[in-house]
Amino acid sequence: MARLEILNPVARTVEHSVKPASRLATLEGATIGLYWNMKAGGDSALDRTEALLREKFAGTKFRRYTGSVGWLMRHCTAEDADRIAAEVDAVVGTTAD
Amino acid sequence: MVELERRGIPTVLFTAQTFVHDAHRSAASFGLAGLPLAVVPLPFTNQTPADIHGMAERAFDQVRAGLTRPVEAPKAVERPPLDERLRYDGDDLLDAWGRMQADFLVRGWADGFPLVPPTERAVGALLRSTRRGPGDVIATLEPGFGIATVEKLAINAVMAGCGPEHLPLLIAAVRCLAEPKMYIRNKAMSTGPHAPLVLVNGPKGRAASLNSGMCALGPGAPSASNTVLGRAVRLTMMNVGHTYVGVSDMDTIGSPLKYSLCCAENEAESPWEPYHVTRGFAPDASTITVHFVYGICELHDFRSTTPEHLVQVFATAANNVAQVGTGLWLIGRRADPRSKTEEKEHNTLFVCPEHAQIFAKAGWGRREIQAALYRAARLPFRTMILNKEPKAMEVAHPELAWLADHPDLPVPIVEDPTCFDIAVVGAAAGRGAYFYGAGEPVTMPVED
Repeated sequence: MARLEILNPVARTVEHSVKPASRLATLEGATIGLYWNMKAGGDSALDRTEALLREKFAGTKFRRYTGSVGWLMRHCTAEDADRIAAEVDAVVGTTAD
Repeated sequence: MVELERRGIPTVLFTAQTFVHDAHRSAASFGLAGLPLAVVPLPFTNQTPADIHGMAERAFDQVRAGLTRPVEAPKAVERPPLDERLRYDGDDLLDAWGRMQADFLVRGWADGFPLVPPTERAVGALLRSTRRGPGDVIATLEPGFGIATVEKLAINAVMAGCGPEHLPLLIAAVRCLAEPKMYIRNKAMSTGPHAPLVLVNGPKGRAASLNSGMCALGPGAPSASNTVLGRAVRLTMMNVGHTYVGVSDMDTIGSPLKYSLCCAENEAESPWEPYHVTRGFAPDASTITVHFVYGICELHDFRSTTPEHLVQVFATAANNVAQVGTGLWLIGRRADPRSKTEEKEHNTLFVCPEHAQIFAKAGWGRREIQAALYRAARLPFRTMILNKEPKAMEVAHPELAWLADHPDLPVPIVEDPTCFDIAVVGAAAGRGAYFYGAGEPVTMPVED
């Protein structure tokens, strides 16, 4: 019998914690941000989502966004996030491929 | 989206099934493991509008729920085991080693090749090669925000087959990876095959027997030092940066370049100042440069005897619109929104010594090659825009909208001439290499 003892290669990580936002009681009358990261096809998904939300929830309003920096994918800066947060009640995004 | 949640705005993300694990892991690394998703079966890319609309319709209930139902408690996230020592028993040491290999593969900690066991004695030998202490933190490495202590780097270096001479080089490489401008989060997690090309300059590379000549990129005994250092960078990205395939590395096809891609510049046979001098370092400094690259194309030319002719041949390698970086400047710059860094898309050329001499004899240096290549490497706008999102170009360069009316106009494949990085590598005979790059190279000094 033999034993091989080695050192663990996996690094510990810095942990972050963000409290999720409170959800909306209803989508009726809400202003919804539609965030597209500019990857192909995401705009079509948001088009259809907007149409469905309009159809099912009275008084919804919409604002379209993309990030102010980036290339294949456009990213949201802190300033973008501040602006969006000030203008809408909720956001539907296409950023996760 | 996590930043919007932080600001009190509920969000929901469309996510293709294949990226669900990635999305959860990414959100968790930013502190919000339970970020709501609207899961669709396929990525929207390459789908027709009708198919995309269908997917959006079928995911609509998830959109509604994501914005209105309380977010569930964060899902459990894999954490590194707290046990800093691992033990494997077997009939003999070879058997125990086999069990270690099998376990590391199951855990995702291995690159697929057999690993050298990181015993305390082997790791200790590496730790004695740096003035830094084992607990010194070199960086926090994304995408997993892993704490890159000197000891963890040494452990992964041993696993790769490195000796003590490699640890200071690996430390410099990790500093390159962690530089904000590197935006490694994007390159590590992307669906594209981003491989870290590691270029070593200076006396410490020579002391570590890094090969710059024949078959510098391997395989073979002359490049053994190159191979293990490049491999250590990959294992460090995995086990320190937590870049794990299918979890936080979503590369759709992979690349053999990602196992190990490392060499030294052939400074002895270069007619020019060493590459690192062009990056602002002293000629006698030792440096590591890391440039993430997607792929490689040979620069073969046995016939040319003039710089102009060589550049025409080189330009044919650059003019490859199927390569993502080609003409990418038309739709913006790679950018990390947190650090507000931006990168131009660079490509690296390894010019072989014979070709370098042709340029030098005609009085050409890097700057002349860059300028000539910038003029020669162009494609018609209609070709360049084939695989790019036109709306992204409208946002990035509204002033260039007129190009649509001149589809045959040749457009440069990079943003400016400095986007071609040139080093001399290889042996006799007219064969170099062109690397299709991802963003900009980063260079760091090797510490004593």
